[in-house]
Amino acid sequence: MNKLQKFAISLLAVGAVWIAINTGPAKVLASNDPDAYNYSFWEEAVPAPAAYKAVDLVDGESLGIGAFKEPNDFYVSNDHLIYVMDSGNNRVVILDERFHLIRTIDSFIQDGTEDGFSNPQGIFVNDENHVFIADTGNQRVIHLDQDFQLVKIIAEPESELLSANFTFLPVKVVVDNADRVFVMVEGVFDGFMEFSVDGHFTTFIGANRVRVDPIEYLWKRFATREQRSQMVMYVPTEFTGLDIDEKGFLYATNADNSDDVIKKLNARGDDILRREGYFAPRGDVRYTQSGGPSRLIDISVSDDEIYSVLDSKRGRIFTYNGDGHLLYVFGGIGNKLGEFHSPVAIERYDDHFLVLDKELGEITVFIATAYGQMINEAVKSYERGDEEAAAQLFEEVVNLNVNLEFAYTGIGKALLRQGQYEAAMDHFRISLDQNNYSKAYLLYRNQTLRKHFASIMTGIIGIGVLILAAAVYRKLAKRKRGIVIE
Amino acid sequence: MNNEMIKYPFTLTIHPFKCFWELKYELNQRMNLIISVVILFSLILTNVLSNQYAGFIVNLYHPEEINSLMEIVYVVVPVLFFCVANWSLTTLMDGEGKFVEIVISTCFALTPLILINFPWIWLSNFISMQEAMFFYLSQSFAVAWFLFLLFIGNMTVHQFTPSKTFATMLLTIAAMGFLAFLCLLFFSLVQQIVGFFSVIYQEIVLRY
Repeated sequence: MNKLQKFAISLLAVGAVWIAINTGPAKVLASNDPDAYNYSFWEEAVPAPAAYKAVDLVDGESLGIGAFKEPNDFYVSNDHLIYVMDSGNNRVVILDERFHLIRTIDSFIQDGTEDGFSNPQGIFVNDENHVFIADTGNQRVIHLDQDFQLVKIIAEPESELLSANFTFLPVKVVVDNADRVFVMVEGVFDGFMEFSVDGHFTTFIGANRVRVDPIEYLWKRFATREQRSQMVMYVPTEFTGLDIDEKGFLYATNADNSDDVIKKLNARGDDILRREGYFAPRGDVRYTQSGGPSRLIDISVSDDEIYSVLDSKRGRIFTYNGDGHLLYVFGGIGNKLGEFHSPVAIERYDDHFLVLDKELGEITVFIATAYGQMINEAVKSYERGDEEAAAQLFEEVVNLNVNLEFAYTGIGKALLRQGQYEAAMDHFRISLDQNNYSKAYLLYRNQTLRKHFASIMTGIIGIGVLILAAAVYRKLAKRKRGIVIE
Repeated sequence: MNNEMIKYPFTLTIHPFKCFWELKYELNQRMNLIISVVILFSLILTNVLSNQYAGFIVNLYHPEEINSLMEIVYVVVPVLFFCVANWSLTTLMDGEGKFVEIVISTCFALTPLILINFPWIWLSNFISMQEAMFFYLSQSFAVAWFLFLLFIGNMTVHQFTPSKTFATMLLTIAAMGFLAFLCLLFFSLVQQIVGFFSVIYQEIVLRY
């Protein structure tokens, strides 16, 4: 009897597990996840399926090296090693892609003596696995090679461009393919500091512009010199985040409150970010008056021009494609897995997304859902010029999320190339893309006119002849009548 | 005669000086008023139709924000405001026009807006982005024409000189703003009074 009962229970359990497996992962539905949303053409928040799901938390305790203390930055190298800048503990923690500890670095050899870090804030790893550390407390940038041997130290630069009381407080650092070093320095309003290969300061790059409130300006015009000196100084805003793409363009965020809070800087420091989406990339488009706009503090650009920005105010991560269309939003402030307390840095590679939390000292690991993978792939194919593949993927994407309007442009462009002008027009109409609609329409109109040229021309000539005949007839009739009257 | 009356608004758009004079002094006022209402109605119809059916290139509309009833308000209220403001001003400024005459001349002046915009509802479906320029051009032309007719109409109705008409027009715009302000004030006050009494009523009902 007892045995029978046990058997029955185990059978039941197996059955339950079997059912659970067979129903599989929950279907992604647009209204399933309250956090996932997107903005429509009309700048309204519309539901969207979740593009990323949090799967894991990594912290110092679980690695067995003691808790992270106020980590400020991290970087994922090309071979997927994760370098965490554990600022409070003055060390760099290196993890492999499965989040196992490889080693920690807290010192390096300089001129035969051991030297350490002091509250370092930023880290960057280049293609050869050279490590660059913004050693803020010691006012220097340290360049280590792949074996963590010192290559060079960029100390406080000397230049006539810098004022006398300038202190060099590097907080973020990136390096381009030509080994030029770009440093984001605290308290500098002139842009990023660019250093040459041998560590000499060359120039500032990409300063934010001063924005003046017209009313404030008017006040200042009427104020006396003494009053003016009491007023708030207008200086350009500082940058808050920095990253570099494989082509060497700098991606930067600032807290400017304008339309260009995100910038893509070329070598001359010009902003060349494409803002061809339905609205300029700036985090949240709709927000309450008291909440205020998003405060973007970090940016991470992956290949194919997809970039993500981190909003520290609401803990959300916004991802855009190269044209500036919002792809997906996820994250938030909270206590659940996938929500943060004080996020400071983001990194993306492959299908992974890492978010570093400063106060909690932990990394949240996100993995793209089927929807997220699909949309990433679609955008990548599109960016590479493979419109056929992109269209197919976009087709699948819109099957999961009809609210993703710009995907229809992707489909429409492929249809346009295939010569299906009418279908292309329909898709552009859905994505509210007037420019492309116009292009498709012109082609469609030409095609139709050409096809029916014979009948149209016959019609026109026929009508012309009829009118002429009528005129002639009337004239003749009039003349006849005229004769009669005379 | 009826045929003549139907043609009249069209003749007026081309011969404003002669026709506005005839409107005021020679034609049947009742008939004019009926035609005015017809013109007003066709303008509303034009706007409603163009909201819905104008080509995608020139007409991006949010389906949830289209409201045909509001289109009536957008046409009738400004016209009414203009007429009331104009009448109030011109009675003080020795204008000869009666209120009815002002209404009639204003409505007749609206004809070009219908005349030009109505065909464009259909035509705008067959244009590209580059050709949309012509659409906007003709729209501005319609507005300019309308303003010209309004000016002539007002001048004829009140028997003003052009400079005086111009001045009254500017003042009329100011008066319209004033009118709008008074209306808002009135409605918000009424709302508050109604609210006050309804709260008193609720209080009494809850107590006893």
